[in-house]
Amino acid sequence: MFVIAPFLWALSTSFKDFNSVTGGAKYIPWLQFEPSLEGWSVLIRSQGKGGVNIIEPYFNSVFVTCSASLLSIIFGTLAAYALSRFTFKAGFIKNNDITFFFISQRIMPPIVLSIPFFLMLGFLGLLDSLLGLILVYMVLLMPIAVWIMVDFFNRVPKEIDETALIDGCNPFEAFFKVVLPNSIPGLIVAGLFCIIFGWIDFFFAFILTFTKVQLLPVAIVALNSSVTPWWSLSASALVSVAPLIIVAFIVERYLSKGNLSGALK
Amino acid sequence: MNLITENLCFKPEHEYYLNDISLEFKAGNLYTLLGRTLSGKTSFLKTIAGLQPVDSGQITFAGKDFNSIPVWKRNVAMVYQQFINYPHLTVFDNIAFPLKQRKMKFSDIQNEVSSAIKKVGLQGFEKRKIQELSGGQQQRVALARSLAKKAKILLLDEPLVNLDYKLREDLRNEFKNIFSGDLSSQSILIYASTDPLEAMQLNGNIIVIDEGKILQHDSAKEVFENPSNVRVAEITNEPAMNIVNGSIESKKIILNKDVQIDLPDKLKTIKPGKYFFGLRASDIVLDDSGFQFVVDLAEISGSETILHLHQDNLKFVSLINEVKNFNNRDKVMLKIMSENLYVFNEKGNLIFSPFKNK
Amino acid sequence: MAEIELKNIAHSYDYKSENPTYALNPFSLTWEDGGCYAILGPSGCGKTTMLNIMSGLVSPSKGSVLFDGTDITSVKTEKRNIAQVFQFPVIYNTMSVYSNLAFPLKCRNFDENIIKSKVIEVAEILNLNLFLDKAAKDLTADQKQLISLGRGLVREDVAAILMDEPLTVIDPDLKFRLRRKLKEINEKYNTTLIYVTHDQNEAMTFAKKIIVMDSGNIVQVGNPKELFERPQTTFVGYFIGSPAMNIYDCAVLSDFDVSIGNIQLKTSTNLSNVKSGQLKIGIRSEFIKLVNNKSENTIEAKIEIVEDFGNYKLITVNKNNLIIKAKVERETTIPHDVVLLNIPAEHCCIYQNKNLI
Repeated sequence: MFVIAPFLWALSTSFKDFNSVTGGAKYIPWLQFEPSLEGWSVLIRSQGKGGVNIIEPYFNSVFVTCSASLLSIIFGTLAAYALSRFTFKAGFIKNNDITFFFISQRIMPPIVLSIPFFLMLGFLGLLDSLLGLILVYMVLLMPIAVWIMVDFFNRVPKEIDETALIDGCNPFEAFFKVVLPNSIPGLIVAGLFCIIFGWIDFFFAFILTFTKVQLLPVAIVALNSSVTPWWSLSASALVSVAPLIIVAFIVERYLSKGNLSGALK
Repeated sequence: MNLITENLCFKPEHEYYLNDISLEFKAGNLYTLLGRTLSGKTSFLKTIAGLQPVDSGQITFAGKDFNSIPVWKRNVAMVYQQFINYPHLTVFDNIAFPLKQRKMKFSDIQNEVSSAIKKVGLQGFEKRKIQELSGGQQQRVALARSLAKKAKILLLDEPLVNLDYKLREDLRNEFKNIFSGDLSSQSILIYASTDPLEAMQLNGNIIVIDEGKILQHDSAKEVFENPSNVRVAEITNEPAMNIVNGSIESKKIILNKDVQIDLPDKLKTIKPGKYFFGLRASDIVLDDSGFQFVVDLAEISGSETILHLHQDNLKFVSLINEVKNFNNRDKVMLKIMSENLYVFNEKGNLIFSPFKNK
Repeated sequence: MAEIELKNIAHSYDYKSENPTYALNPFSLTWEDGGCYAILGPSGCGKTTMLNIMSGLVSPSKGSVLFDGTDITSVKTEKRNIAQVFQFPVIYNTMSVYSNLAFPLKCRNFDENIIKSKVIEVAEILNLNLFLDKAAKDLTADQKQLISLGRGLVREDVAAILMDEPLTVIDPDLKFRLRRKLKEINEKYNTTLIYVTHDQNEAMTFAKKIIVMDSGNIVQVGNPKELFERPQTTFVGYFIGSPAMNIYDCAVLSDFDVSIGNIQLKTSTNLSNVKSGQLKIGIRSEFIKLVNNKSENTIEAKIEIVEDFGNYKLITVNKNNLIIKAKVERETTIPHDVVLLNIPAEHCCIYQNKNLI
């Protein structure tokens, strides 16, 4: 109930017009208020006709989140495999310390990172660009991927890699043909987390962009002007949650097939 | 096609994993690497496979330097004590994996796989997933994979130790037949084990390893009959051989103040002094004319009774060839078969064996 | 302390379905107070299910569990006065050995002085008294397993200690120490010990009474000697003893004589009433003797394999395609091709439809 209520509220609000929102609590369409498509229509109307700037940020967000997640998974998986299988030692720093270092990126409050990021991107001339955002998001998402994948790789017995080597695979083949197929559940979980965290981030998207490139969370907040357009705000919020719901739905189906659990004992 | 190791050493931290191992393995033979847990058996097998580096030493196979060849080009096969297979593949694909890796023709792969499946008795399971098999079946898949490969060096690291007792016994008999039938005169088989009975049954050459060092390397019969030192005597017997500190004085063997036995004729050439005496558990028998011992624990195993006994500071384990009930702290009379005594010098090396000096 | 009775127990994990498959077929069994039992059987025979029914982790589909005559079938595990030791030592790593042992008493709000005296007493029995202040995680595997056991012992009200393959993770050298401790505890406290294992040696060495199970059935209850000499079913003959019992199809010739193919054997079993059913004869390798002269029950056979096990030799012979295994002492001189084997009539077990007559 507590989970669903905000959704329902947003859903009903998105169909209200100005009077229905401000004129006291009204919940049930047709009975208590006349539903209006105003909130939804502004989303697709071009800006000249009083529409809002939401479609372009939407695609920006999809592009940035997907590429950053994909890159994080690729590099994170490789890093995690190395951390899980090889012993690194530099003075007192050992494998666990390196893993912790990755996670520590997420422990720090984002504000601490924001200034160095801002300066770095400024130096590289990547402020207010998609590429810059992808790079920053990669830094944010990779710890999640590494963290989850290290755990999964540790659960694949080392002897399986060794057997693959003995059976004639070189180390890369052993990784791609044997270890990775047995870590698919981990990849899915890691991917899901990356997408969620990338998608919902507001802070960096807000700080590192100005006008040219806008991401969805920022664009939604930007809708807020002197008169808060609750209807279009609700509608765009629902639109922004939709992809996550779809992803979660697909993964859930996959989970229930039992493919995730029991791949390895 | 011999495999030769020379002075292999590996000491990652403070302890030796491999300590100066020099051995020669001849093609067409079975070698049992016998040692307690953590004695360096797995380390040695992994070194042969190329999975573990060495600090120094040389491995040569068929006249070629083996050290510089990476694992995936060595053409060895290995079966682990854990049931290691590829969980994402079916039984067929598991066994076919090394062959596909070698880019064999599919029809050849099919022939090889089905003959390996037949050998290990897994017909009808080809399409199953690994998780759907029992432990014994999983280990059969691992063995079939290593057989199908027809590797020149086959390494087995305690392959039966994680199986149920009876299954272990059945599979051991089967393995023995598979090896004797399938082991071509080209390949070398090295089987690591902690179990002396297993080593004796496989009846190949026994290599006794302890703390990374090779203690003895000989035929099964020779190692059993003439263990070169006290540690070998302990490792190669189940229950472990009783090793007692004692001395020879004026025609008597003195084990403690009460247990003194007449020096058998065979031992008269040994001069008086301090020695270690070795006595198999089966050479201590119930006999009213013997010495009195106290039972610490009586255990019945199948057809035998194992008695853990003590007399003052002297501790013995005795194996009696029948099922008999004893209670703890019972007093029993036991005779020591002095003609079967082994004598080791103070350093622990064999100086008299009842078999050699018969 | 209590006598535990399992009355008409049966269990199925899919009891509600139309044709339930039984993990445990209906049976009744009584565990005497202070007994030392082992449940022996291959994986999946139902032995762990039986243990869990006693401890209350599984509630049986049918039947009842009685402690000293009181029905406790619906009583929860924690109220059953049962201690359980699992394959892997379950200890609280962060606590000292003392706190580990004291934990079950503390949870039941015992007086601090009583706890102390009890813990010290148990620690002495288990030889843990020198380690009481140590952190539990620093101990060896067998000591950790002793702590799991000790937590059962500190409670005076414990009726039975149930152990599910407790020696699996213990090194062979240490197993002996632990087994000996278990026996001492059984003698001193008269606590019922029930031990589940797949290893015939472990069961035989540990228990005074062994319950042999196979695919959900109890096939024999007996002491080690009975199991070895008179296995009640062909399965027990196969499962107990190493090598397995020699078992062959046979037919009745006269009251005490049977034939295996064209071999005639005298037995000590009266077969006059045996008319039908599949007949088998079982002979232990250990009872077959090598002899020099032909007499009754002597078979002349060709030697196929001689295996030297160190303490004994195992001879495999072939007589008209009948494979017979005989265990002889190592010193025995074995002829090269043909041997005479004597099979004592009193050690021939005759099975009708797999059950001993």
